[in-house]
Amino acid sequence: MTAAPASPLPPPPAPAAAREPIFHVRDLARVYGEGTAAVTALRGVDLDLFRGELIVLLGASGSGKSTLLNQLGGLDSPTHGTLFYRGWNLGTADEAGLTHFRRDAVGFVFQAYNLIPSLTARENVALITEICRDPMAPEDALELVGLTPRMDHFPAQLSGGEQQRVAIARAIAKRPEVLLCDEPTGALDVHTGITVLEAIERINRDLGTLAVIITHNAILADMADRVFTLSDGRIINARTNARRGSVRDLAW
Amino acid sequence: MSLLDRKLLRDLRALKSQALAVALVMACGLAMMIMTRSLILSLDTTRDTYYRENRFGEVFARLKRAPNAVREQLVAIPGVAAVQTGIAIQVTLDVPGLPEPAVGLINSLPERGEPVLNRPYVRAGRLPLGRTTRGELAVGEAFAESHGLKPGDTLAAILNGTKQTFRLSGIVLSPEFVFEAPPGAALPDNKTYGVFWMPYKELATAFQLYGAFNNVSLTLAPGASEGEVIAAVNRVLAPYGARGAYGRSHHPSHRRVDDEIRVLQGLSVAFPLVFLSVAAFMTNSVMSRQIALQREQIAMLKACGFSNAQVGAHYFKFSLAIVFVGVGLGAVGGIVLGHRLVEMYHLFFRFPQLDFVLDSRVLVAAAGVSALAAFAGVAGAVRRAVRLPPAEAMRPEAPASFRPALIERLGGARWFTASFRMALRNIERRPVRSGLTCLALALATGILIVPNSFRDGVTYVIDFQWDIVQRQTVTLTLVEPGPARAIADFRHLPGVELAEPFRYVPIELRAGPVMRRLNLQGLPARGTLSRVIDAEPRQLTLPAHGIVISAKLADILHVRPGDEVIAKVLEGRERELSVPIVGLAEDFAGMAAYMELHALNRLLLEGDRISGAHLVVNAGLWPDFLAAVKNTPRAAGCVIKNSIRDGFRKTTAESIGLLQNMYLVFATIVAFGIIYNSARISLSERARELATLRVLGFSRGEVGAVLVGELVLLTLVALPLGLLIGSGFAKVILASVNTETVRLPLVLTASNYAFAVLVVALASALSALFAARKLADINLVSALKALD
Repeated sequence: MTAAPASPLPPPPAPAAAREPIFHVRDLARVYGEGTAAVTALRGVDLDLFRGELIVLLGASGSGKSTLLNQLGGLDSPTHGTLFYRGWNLGTADEAGLTHFRRDAVGFVFQAYNLIPSLTARENVALITEICRDPMAPEDALELVGLTPRMDHFPAQLSGGEQQRVAIARAIAKRPEVLLCDEPTGALDVHTGITVLEAIERINRDLGTLAVIITHNAILADMADRVFTLSDGRIINARTNARRGSVRDLAW
Repeated sequence: MSLLDRKLLRDLRALKSQALAVALVMACGLAMMIMTRSLILSLDTTRDTYYRENRFGEVFARLKRAPNAVREQLVAIPGVAAVQTGIAIQVTLDVPGLPEPAVGLINSLPERGEPVLNRPYVRAGRLPLGRTTRGELAVGEAFAESHGLKPGDTLAAILNGTKQTFRLSGIVLSPEFVFEAPPGAALPDNKTYGVFWMPYKELATAFQLYGAFNNVSLTLAPGASEGEVIAAVNRVLAPYGARGAYGRSHHPSHRRVDDEIRVLQGLSVAFPLVFLSVAAFMTNSVMSRQIALQREQIAMLKACGFSNAQVGAHYFKFSLAIVFVGVGLGAVGGIVLGHRLVEMYHLFFRFPQLDFVLDSRVLVAAAGVSALAAFAGVAGAVRRAVRLPPAEAMRPEAPASFRPALIERLGGARWFTASFRMALRNIERRPVRSGLTCLALALATGILIVPNSFRDGVTYVIDFQWDIVQRQTVTLTLVEPGPARAIADFRHLPGVELAEPFRYVPIELRAGPVMRRLNLQGLPARGTLSRVIDAEPRQLTLPAHGIVISAKLADILHVRPGDEVIAKVLEGRERELSVPIVGLAEDFAGMAAYMELHALNRLLLEGDRISGAHLVVNAGLWPDFLAAVKNTPRAAGCVIKNSIRDGFRKTTAESIGLLQNMYLVFATIVAFGIIYNSARISLSERARELATLRVLGFSRGEVGAVLVGELVLLTLVALPLGLLIGSGFAKVILASVNTETVRLPLVLTASNYAFAVLVVALASALSALFAARKLADINLVSALKALD
C-alpha cells in the first residue's frame, strides 16, 4: 500500500484541549428499513466520550450496542441526530471521509479476530502500518501485547487468545485515538480472556487511548471508568465507577 | 418441480454471470466442433453427390496426341468401367475490360450427346453441344463471376495463332474444376485464369487434332485396382507422349478439397479439447466454491434424510444447466461461423450448391462431450461434499493454513509489501488452481498468435516470391517451345526493357521408390529476373551440369546435394538419365527443379529452344505492350506478376481475416471468463478478509488491488508462457499444412506478440474491473459478526 493520502481529520489535540470530548453524540437514532418494516435499532442516544477513558457498553442481543459501536466506528451513518468526532461531523461524512477516519483514528478488535490467514502476526500488523500516517513499528505493537516470541507465526499456528492479541496489536499500531472492541473475549475461555482484557487495559492506561468495549458479560463493568447499559436502542443506565478494578480482580 | 430443483433454479440465478462465463468458454469449443464437423459433412456429401451425379472420373491422364481409335484399347483394360477422351488445351484470352491477356483452359465437348464422364453442370444458359455449333463457348463460373460475364457476352481467344471471337452460350461448373486454378497454383486467380468448354470439332480442327485426343478420364469397375489400371493406361498411352496417369488422390482439384477436410478434422478435435478442458476447470472452481458455501445446507439435507445420490444429483444438475446453455450458444455460434466459412469457401471451391448442413449427430456428441467435461469438473467437489458426515459439515471449515511463499523462503523479497505477500501465498497455497488459471490465460494468448503468424508468413512469402525470386513484370509463354531466337521477337514488343528466356519441360524425378512429376525449368546461369534462391536467401548460380531442386522436394525424395536422381523427360523424345543434385532452392508453393538453360537443351537433344521469356516492361508503355501481346499469336500464356500478387494478397487476406476475428473472439472470451470467475470466486472466499480490510481503513481501490493482485501476478506469468505456447501452436499447425502444394514459413513478429499480450491484458483488466464492482456490495458490518 502506498502512503495514506491527505486526511480530512482534525489534527491531534493540544494538551489544553484534553477535556474536550472525542465523541459528542446527541439524540442519535438509526432506523433500518422503511414503513411498516422499519426497525429502530437506536433511539435518542446522548453521549460524550473522553480521551483516556475505558468505556463498557452492556446489553443483551438486539439492545443496540453493536449498532452504536458501528456508528462510532464509521461503519454506518445515523438516520437522525448528531455524531461528532473532535468537532468533525461523522454523520454527514462521505465514503472517502469515513475510510480516512477508520484508517487514522480507529482501531477495531473483532470477536472473531479477523486476521488475514495468509499473513504472519507481524505482517498482519504491518499491513495496517503500511497505510496509516504515524504508526509504531509492528514489532513494538506486538511487544505491547506480549507476543514478541510468536511474531512470525501464521494465524493457524496461534491459539485463540494469541490471535486476539495480534488483532489488538494491529488495532493499536496506528496509535488510534479510539479502540473499539466488539465482544473481544466472546470466543475465548476465561483465562485467555483475562490476558486479552489486560492487553486492552494496558493500552488504555499507557497510551491514553479511548477504549470502548461492548459485551454482554456484566462482570467486565468493574474494569471501566464508565458503564452504559443499553436496551431496546436506548441507554437505560449510565454509571461512573469511583475506582476502576484491575482485570485480575474482577469477580470471574 | 421438486423443492430441490427450485433451490437449483434460485442458486443458478444467483450465480448467473459466473455460469454464463463458463457456458461461453464451453460454447467456443462447441461452436468450433459443430462448425468443423458440419463443414466436413457438408463438403463430403456435396462433393460425393456432385461427383456421382456428374460422373467424375477416377483415373486421369494427359498426353500429346493419340488417335481416337486408342480409346478402344483403354476401354478394353480390365477394371475400366467408362472412358471419356477429349481435348484440353491452354489458350490466351482477350477479355473485355481486362487490360492484360488471360489464360483459358478449353475442354472439348463430345460430338454426340453429353460427355460420359466429367459432365459440366449448367448454371445459366446452355452447353454449346451439337456437331454444327460454331463460335460458342461455355465458361466456368468463377471466371465468369470475376468478370461479370453472362450468356450472350463475347470473348476473344487466340486458337493456334488465330484470334477468334466467341459468344458465351452458358455458365457452367465441372467436378474436374471444383478448385478452379492453374495447375500447381496455391490459390485461385479467377481474373486471369478460367476454364471453358467448346465442341470437339471446332477445338480439334483449330489445333489440327481432329480425330485425336490429348486428355483421358476413366472410371473403375467395382473391385478394380486403381494401381493396376493406371499401369495399364500408362502402357497403352506410352507411345503417345503420355505424362503418366494418376488417380483422384492426385487430382489437383480433388486434393485441395481433401486438404481442407483434413485441416477441418484437425481443428474439430484440437479446438474443442482445449476449450472444453478450460470449461471443465472453470466448472470445477465454480462448483467447488458453491459446494463450500453450501456446506451447512448439504449437512442439513443429509441430516433430514436425503441420500448421497440425491445430493450428488442436485449438484450435477447444476453443471448440466451450464452445459445446456453452452450447447445452445455453441450450436448458434457453430451455425453462424459455418455459414461464414461456407461463404468463404466460395472463394476457393465451386459446387453446384454448397450449403451449410448442420450435422445433427455432432450436436448430440457435443452435448455428450461437454456434459462429460462438466461432470469431470464437478465430480471431485461433489464427492467431497457427499462424503462429509452431516455433523462435521455443520461446523465451519477449519481455518486455512499458510506458509511463506517459495520466493520468500529462498531468502529474497524482504521488500515485498504485505498485500503482495498475500497474493504470492494465495497462489502457492492452491498450486493446481493457480496453475490451471495461468494455463488457461496462456492458451488465450497462444491462440491469438496463430492467425497472425499465418498473416506474417503470407506477407513473407509474397515478398519472397515476388520481390526476391521473381523480379519480372510479366512472363510470356509460347504455344510450343520454339527456337531461341524467338527471344528477339519478345525484345521488340513495345516497352520491353529486359528479356530472359526460359525452358519448361515436364519430367519425372525419381530417387529409389519415390517419384514426383513436375516441370524442369531451364534458366540462364545467373539470371536477373527469375532467380533461384536458397534458404539464406542468396542467389544460386546454376552450374553447367546438375540440377537444383526445391528443399521440400529433396525432403520427399530423401536426397541431399551430391546425390544422384533419375530424371525422365516426358515430352518429345523420352529419355531417362541420372543427374546430380547441386543445390537446394527455397520456395513455398509447389515444387520446382532448375537447370542451366543450355545444359537442359543439351539434355533434351533438341538444340537451342525456349518455352517463353520473363520480361521487364516499361510502365509508361504498358497498355501498348498488352495490346501487342493480345495479338501475338505465338504467345499462349501471359502471367502478370502484380495481378497474381494482388489476387493472392486479396484471397489470403479474406480468409485470414475471418480466422483472426474468430480467434480474437475466442481468446477474449477465455481471458474474460477465466479472470471474471477467478475474481468472483476469490471475492466470495475472501469476503470476510476483504470486509475486515475495509473496516481497518483500506479504501475500496486498495481492497480491489488486494483482490486482483493474485490475478495480476498469474497474468504476468501467463503472458510469456502464452507466447511460447502460441509459437508452438503456430509451428505445429504450419508443419501440418506443409504440403507439396503450399508451405508457409514460421514468421513470429514482435507486433504479433504485442497484439496478443495487449488483447489478453486488456480483456483480463476489464474483466477484473467488472468483477471488482461487486466489492461495493461487501457489507462492512459483516466483518464484525462472529463466525458461526
